[in-house]
Amino acid sequence: MAVDPIVLTQSIINGILNGLLYSLAALGLALIFGVMDIINFAHGDFIMIAAYLTFIFAVSLNMDAALTAVLTMPIFFVLGLGIYKGIIEKILGAEPLIQIATTVGLLLVLRNLALAIFHAEPKGVPVTPLGIPIYLGPIAVPLSRLIGGIVSLGALFAIHQLLTRTKWGIAVRAIADDREIASLMGINIKKVYAITFGLGIALTALPAALIMEFSRADPYLGLLYGLLSWIIVAMGGLGGVEGILYSGLILGLIESLGCSLINPSARELYLYITFLVLLWIRPRGLFAKR
Amino acid sequence: MAGKAKIIGTQIFGLALLAIILGLVPPALGFNIYYVLLATIALSVTIMVAAWNIIGGYAGQLDLAAPVYFVIGSFVTTHLLVFYHVIPWIGILVGALAAVALAMVLGYPTFRFGVKEVWYALLTAALVVIMQRIAWFIMTSYYFPILGSNEVYISQYIPEDANPWLYLYFPMNYTIYYYIFLALLVFTVWINLKIKRSKLGYYLAAIREDELAAEALGIDVRRYKLYALMIYAAILGVAGGFHIMMIGILAYKNFDPWLGIVIAVMGIVGGLGSIEGAVMSGLILRTIEEWLRSSFGAVIPGIHYLIYGIIIIIVAILKPEGLAAIINYVKKKLGLIQYG
Repeated sequence: MAVDPIVLTQSIINGILNGLLYSLAALGLALIFGVMDIINFAHGDFIMIAAYLTFIFAVSLNMDAALTAVLTMPIFFVLGLGIYKGIIEKILGAEPLIQIATTVGLLLVLRNLALAIFHAEPKGVPVTPLGIPIYLGPIAVPLSRLIGGIVSLGALFAIHQLLTRTKWGIAVRAIADDREIASLMGINIKKVYAITFGLGIALTALPAALIMEFSRADPYLGLLYGLLSWIIVAMGGLGGVEGILYSGLILGLIESLGCSLINPSARELYLYITFLVLLWIRPRGLFAKR
Repeated sequence: MAGKAKIIGTQIFGLALLAIILGLVPPALGFNIYYVLLATIALSVTIMVAAWNIIGGYAGQLDLAAPVYFVIGSFVTTHLLVFYHVIPWIGILVGALAAVALAMVLGYPTFRFGVKEVWYALLTAALVVIMQRIAWFIMTSYYFPILGSNEVYISQYIPEDANPWLYLYFPMNYTIYYYIFLALLVFTVWINLKIKRSKLGYYLAAIREDELAAEALGIDVRRYKLYALMIYAAILGVAGGFHIMMIGILAYKNFDPWLGIVIAVMGIVGGLGSIEGAVMSGLILRTIEEWLRSSFGAVIPGIHYLIYGIIIIIVAILKPEGLAAIINYVKKKLGLIQYG
């Protein structure tokens, strides 16, 4: 079977751009799970709610979808702080089953709130000037996807810098390494946790805004991005931002090559079967440091 | 030995009480077709929760794949009936065996490689989606050209002069299905009680409390988790086979990831490892869900699932023992148990 090199290049580019976005989508989850050991099953549904919020702002304020992140991220930070204070703080250190149960509850609430308010109708933002494709010879890249990829990469880099270069980031990593010792060194764990959770939730608003550039908000986004993010975290292990970046890229490439070379209608199948096999063969992830 | 006899006596009393109380439901509903159908679906869900109690409650594995084994039972039963004219009784048996085989094939590597906690939950959630896609493939590319539709309407494939009992085909008479499901529920509860007081049950409890310690004591953790998974799959496979004969329409969407989550939520709300709690939680929550859906569903879609979300958050934060705590309290007052 001969593979058209143009199709191949096109799908590799698509895979990389999607993969960057997937990494960004998983970043908040990785931060919360890696630092706080909190199992957040509702991660995907925060992305879904953020997508709806993006739609509301984009339409009512007549803004470009990607720009609304400036508004949705602070809102989600506050939302994250609220949920931390109201729910998460009470299940810190609880057994995994209780954490999963609680966040599954959160997932059901978020998803069905969206269903109750928006009646399962997919909502898309009006066409933006970013929808036009850029042509590089025979290869077309939609500007919105290119921007999505670049912004994702920038955000990943920014978080990496935040974690490695600032005092707060060092505190976060110290807690991830050993909570008790970090506490003895005078780190205010409660405060770092609250901010980390807020930041983790705020970080779901950015990929949601980028996704809305080319896709539509619907209540089912939650399951897809939720599982996707967990797959990336599983693959990346707890190896920091780099692991997340590589895992997202690998997943994006598997998905786009699978779709273009095998069968386009089995998209989820490639992702989930990769996940299944990965959990079996490398339960600690491909890029784990510990 | 008197203690053991007393336990068995209490168990038989409990099972009989369950059968009698639930057996009175159809007459109480005036044999209204619609209400009896709803009650039968509630029983079907409760069977799933009771089966989940084995893997989730006893073994402590948060399995979200209940629809996988359930619909495998439905799928095999339907497939054999439609393409090979096999009566559902045999189809259900083969379906249950298929569900057990799948549980073994998936469970072996999963437990072998130590996939647990959140990863087990995610893996099983992904499994439902994988099965849904595979079913979609089979139904669009294999069923559609032959049957002319992506869904299978079972009543079309029942012979004209079929014996209704042989084909489990009782159109518009859900009362019979109700009693079939009631028998299945009583059987599932009995299996639960049997397991709880057996070697398997004690091993599973040890695994749930501390897997490493259980392993250190010489328990073959993998083997017993796999046993729990296979029993769970078998019950779900049988229930799924009966369920599809009642509902009559097989669609790939039957592999519903939300159903898996709801079953686990019900199991947790009932209290892990408490079969009484699981049954009560299944019956009560499913009834509340139906009431919410029929009263407000048209105005606020999704409200019935919203309520699950709120209930599970409250239970997990305030009362992780679930309904079992209340049941134990009542039992203590009645003098049925001393500790609990």
